[in-house]
Amino acid sequence: MFHKFDLGGITRELWLTPTATGYRLNVLDAWSGPIALTDEGTGRGRLTVAGFSEAVAFVVDGDLIHIHMRGRTRSLRYLDPLRVLASVDSDGGHNVARAPMPGTVVALKVAPGDAVTTGTVLMVIESMKLETQIRASQDGIVERLHVKDGDSFDRDAILVTLLQGT
Amino acid sequence: MAAASLPFDTVLVANRGEIAVRIIASLRKLGVRAAIVHHEIDAAAPAVALADVAIKISGKTPVSAYLDGEQIIAAARAAGAGALHPGYGFLSENAGFARAVAAAGIAFIGPTPEVIELMGDKIRARNFVARGGFPVAPSAIEEDDPSTFLARARSIGAPLLVKPSAGGGGKGMRIVRDLDLLDDAVAQARSEGQRYFGDGRLYVERYVEKPRHIEVQVLGDAFGNVVHLFERECSVQRRFQKIIEETPSPALSAKMRQSICETAANIARAAGYRNAGTVEFIFGGEEFYFLEMNTRLQVEHPVTEMITGVDLVAEQIAIAANRALPFRQSDISARGHAIEARLYAESPERGFSPTSGKVLMLDYPREQGVRVDSGIAEGQSITTAFDPMLAKLIVHAQTRDAAVTKAIAAVQDLVLLGCETNADFLARVLGDPGFRNGAVHTGYLDENPEIASGPNDAPDDVTRFLAVAALVTRPVRDAAEAVPALHAAIGRWRN
Amino acid sequence: MQRIVSLIDTRTDEFRANDVHNRRLAAELKERQQAARFTRPKRDLERLRRQNKMFVRDRIEALLDPGTPFLELSTLAGNRAYENEVPGAAQVVGIGIVSGREVIVHADDASVKGGAWYPLSVKKIVRALDVAIENRLPVVHLCDSAGGFLPLQAEFFADRYYAGRIFRNQSMLSKMGVPQVAVVMGHCTAGGAYVPALSDYNIIVQGTGAIFLGGPPLVKAATGEEVSVEELGGADMHTSVSGTGDYLAGSELHAIAIARDIVGRFNRAPKAAIDHVAPEPPAYDPSELYGIIPNDPRVQFDMREVIARMVDGSRFHEYQPRYGQTLICGFARLHGYQIGILANNGVLFSDSALKGAHFIQLCDKNRTPLLFLQNITGFMVGRDYERRGITKDGAKLIMAVSGAAVPKFTVNCNGSYGAGTYGMSGRAFDPRFMFTWPQSQISVMGAEQAAGVLTEIKVKQLARNGEQLSEAELAAIREPILESYREQSSAYYATSEIWDDGILDPIDTRNALAIALSAALNTQIESPHYGVFRM
Repeated sequence: MFHKFDLGGITRELWLTPTATGYRLNVLDAWSGPIALTDEGTGRGRLTVAGFSEAVAFVVDGDLIHIHMRGRTRSLRYLDPLRVLASVDSDGGHNVARAPMPGTVVALKVAPGDAVTTGTVLMVIESMKLETQIRASQDGIVERLHVKDGDSFDRDAILVTLLQGT
Repeated sequence: MAAASLPFDTVLVANRGEIAVRIIASLRKLGVRAAIVHHEIDAAAPAVALADVAIKISGKTPVSAYLDGEQIIAAARAAGAGALHPGYGFLSENAGFARAVAAAGIAFIGPTPEVIELMGDKIRARNFVARGGFPVAPSAIEEDDPSTFLARARSIGAPLLVKPSAGGGGKGMRIVRDLDLLDDAVAQARSEGQRYFGDGRLYVERYVEKPRHIEVQVLGDAFGNVVHLFERECSVQRRFQKIIEETPSPALSAKMRQSICETAANIARAAGYRNAGTVEFIFGGEEFYFLEMNTRLQVEHPVTEMITGVDLVAEQIAIAANRALPFRQSDISARGHAIEARLYAESPERGFSPTSGKVLMLDYPREQGVRVDSGIAEGQSITTAFDPMLAKLIVHAQTRDAAVTKAIAAVQDLVLLGCETNADFLARVLGDPGFRNGAVHTGYLDENPEIASGPNDAPDDVTRFLAVAALVTRPVRDAAEAVPALHAAIGRWRN
Repeated sequence: MQRIVSLIDTRTDEFRANDVHNRRLAAELKERQQAARFTRPKRDLERLRRQNKMFVRDRIEALLDPGTPFLELSTLAGNRAYENEVPGAAQVVGIGIVSGREVIVHADDASVKGGAWYPLSVKKIVRALDVAIENRLPVVHLCDSAGGFLPLQAEFFADRYYAGRIFRNQSMLSKMGVPQVAVVMGHCTAGGAYVPALSDYNIIVQGTGAIFLGGPPLVKAATGEEVSVEELGGADMHTSVSGTGDYLAGSELHAIAIARDIVGRFNRAPKAAIDHVAPEPPAYDPSELYGIIPNDPRVQFDMREVIARMVDGSRFHEYQPRYGQTLICGFARLHGYQIGILANNGVLFSDSALKGAHFIQLCDKNRTPLLFLQNITGFMVGRDYERRGITKDGAKLIMAVSGAAVPKFTVNCNGSYGAGTYGMSGRAFDPRFMFTWPQSQISVMGAEQAAGVLTEIKVKQLARNGEQLSEAELAAIREPILESYREQSSAYYATSEIWDDGILDPIDTRNALAIALSAALNTQIESPHYGVFRM
């Protein structure tokens, strides 16, 4: 099983191989070569890829790895197989509405137990002075509201869980 | 200037974020105690840590706390503040608040309530400016006389901008380049105005093609002295949100510069303007029209400070303390070129949607000629409760070209990890050939959406980001280390 | 250690002819393996797709650590049985790396007869678990079997090493403290139900995985009860009600991820400490083996040339180079591990047998694993040799081979016949692993000799009655014997019957042995109770 990282919405598969001097990075169907990173404890170091070395700053925050390098900042997410594959499972019997962006709840439009059809407005959220409607992506019953009026949430937070079926 | 010479020894900063930090810096320089109000959510903000006195205020939402004049005035009293600096936004252009502050015996660091009121009413301000003989865009207001509206509109000449009187945010607006199509455009704008605002009344004005946003910084004291501190160009905008500002404007000839700056100073003079203000114009290449006047300190004031060497906040405080301006127009000169880039917690690549997170690593560039006005610190959470601006990077160099190069380097050297920002986008804008040539206008980013969406990462860059991620992710390293050496040496082998 | 100086001239016609011949044999092997692994009736693959099941090979690839080897065992089991309709005996077995641990992977191949267990399937599973026991290797079972193939139940059910042995071996492993994980990816019915039940950990895939002693049709027939698969033995029921299952997985990949996480928590038993240095590749190109192995199996060749293309740096410390020269003995290193090699360079005489027995004792005392490279027609026969005690000396070699406590590995490089098979650590002598090269043959004696012996007996019987056989009649007796011998002594027949652990392309032998040796070291090596007898 490969290690998976999300970078800008694209999943990349890779693995490391230890070598006498460090590691070899293997990016599936893309690249393979020696890599090394110095001063890892401080969040600042030098990354050497195939002999070419440059400065890098990084912070590991749970499964998120924030990196600044070459004048650019990227956040990669480590897709832990147990979590990622399990979520496929738990979304299997349910349908969740996730936050498209961070924001706050302006108005809840449904309550647990309500039957909804595809497109029903579940709640209105506000983000940056813009109001957005969160709609049901399929028919079902509202199982749970994960937020209440005035709550704020991050991007991708689960807002509503629907039970499938009638 | 020493604090002893001022009539107050404490100033309440009625704001947050980078501007609060900025104001406190000038207060420090003047030897004045800084008091600050803050909502719970900002308790860890640098401005609160920097202030001598910090007073908590509350509200239904964090924003509403900073809009609660009564609480703020009570805080100013409690802190023994003799003056109050409103910063920008929030209550800075609220005449009622300015009045209430004055009534409480506290000096409001800003213009008089009357001027705030005048300039706050866009129609009144426009009429005031027009009456003074200053250039305003030719326009026709339907309600003045509905029967002659279309004829008056036609007489302005194309191109025209038709917009709902009650409107805002660009909704219902129609550009008419061919007067034969005016009737249709009016009908459509009316119907959209009706639909969006429940008000079908319209307003028509001359439309400026490829408009540039030029504004002029002015300072006026209580003794009728008014000076300008040259212009700033803020044409790099997205949905009326300024992104990059600079001075001097690359679009102005020396003659035009003089004309526009003197016009601004004269408008301020005519209004009896006191304290710092900004007169905004639309500039079309040959003509400029008054747009509005902002009766407060502007976000982008640092570029003016960089080229003139004037501390605008210190001058604001001195003016509020009834000091005369320490310089005349002829004393003010501009040196070099300054550019400001606004760092926002937003993702231009994802349609400018706001981002949130926590500042896990923060390191600003420290080169000569780079100034950073920042309201955030490591460990601080970034929420969507407020305006998404996190910091401003301001650079100063001898020439515009050198300043652009420096600004790109500053934006790229900036390290902010933990919350996605528009830094990559800023670098793309600064490096864009159109910007480098000084050929931008307020619609430039809309016309060139690829600047916002950005290119895909090059494979080589992807490899490097993945290399770091792989090396700092424990499960990835542990998995590699767990493989026995013999099997690692054989590699992926199948018999 | 001295480097072997190869005397092979790669420019000779002989070398080129051998090279062409052996490359063709290797290509044929790869083709047959490829077919056994991937060629399936369309309907079987479609059925898997319909059931939302992964192909067994994809399951295994997902289970293994990326960038690590997989030594597959007995790929061609069953290739001469069941009209070649049960490739690999519907089982995939091998040694791979899961979460950094060396494990046995045992997977039912549901694309072959629904993963039904044929007699050779059972033999292959039992062998896999024997490998696990002997080498203390944890096992990951990927269960997806329709159950035993009932028409052949007499050949896989009742006997000592038949199906029951699977569950006995599973129990022994657990008793030894060697953990097993079963991933239930299909129905585990009847005996098959015990594979997950006897595993220390098991995971059931929701929807496709189920465990029951009797499936719904059997239950209906036995008691009249009508019950659904899910109710009877579904993943939800077993993980929440019966406790037969430990973990519920939403998909096969999720199950594999859980299995990897479980294996990643296994204690790593300390390896037997044998002498080890940094590895070194052979100084001679292993692909030259193709030009060295003669295209005529009856032609003798110098086994030192083979050793030179298999061991680290081609370095070989030869023991008693001047004595018993038909059996080469000496020390070498394989991926850094010291091994003792016994390789045939001709028929076994008394002195070669004594030398071998002595060398085995040396290695045993020194904890040096043994590698037997077979190319042996047998022990020398004849009056003189019997008088000199060839049988007695052969017995010493067999005794030494049998008694050695160090792990043994055997490769049949060309031929293995008669008592030579015994003296050179044949299958019956429990080498940890036994591999075969494509051209090699194994039988109690050569086909020609056997045909000769058998026709001779017939001629004598008839002669007693004064009868005589014509040449044509003789040929009619000889030919079928020759034919059946040729068939049954071939490497493909041997591997079909699981007399070995698989046929190897000669150039793969070094890696295969290294993986096997590493696996073997998971079991501690006992000390011999006597000193070394000079024979």
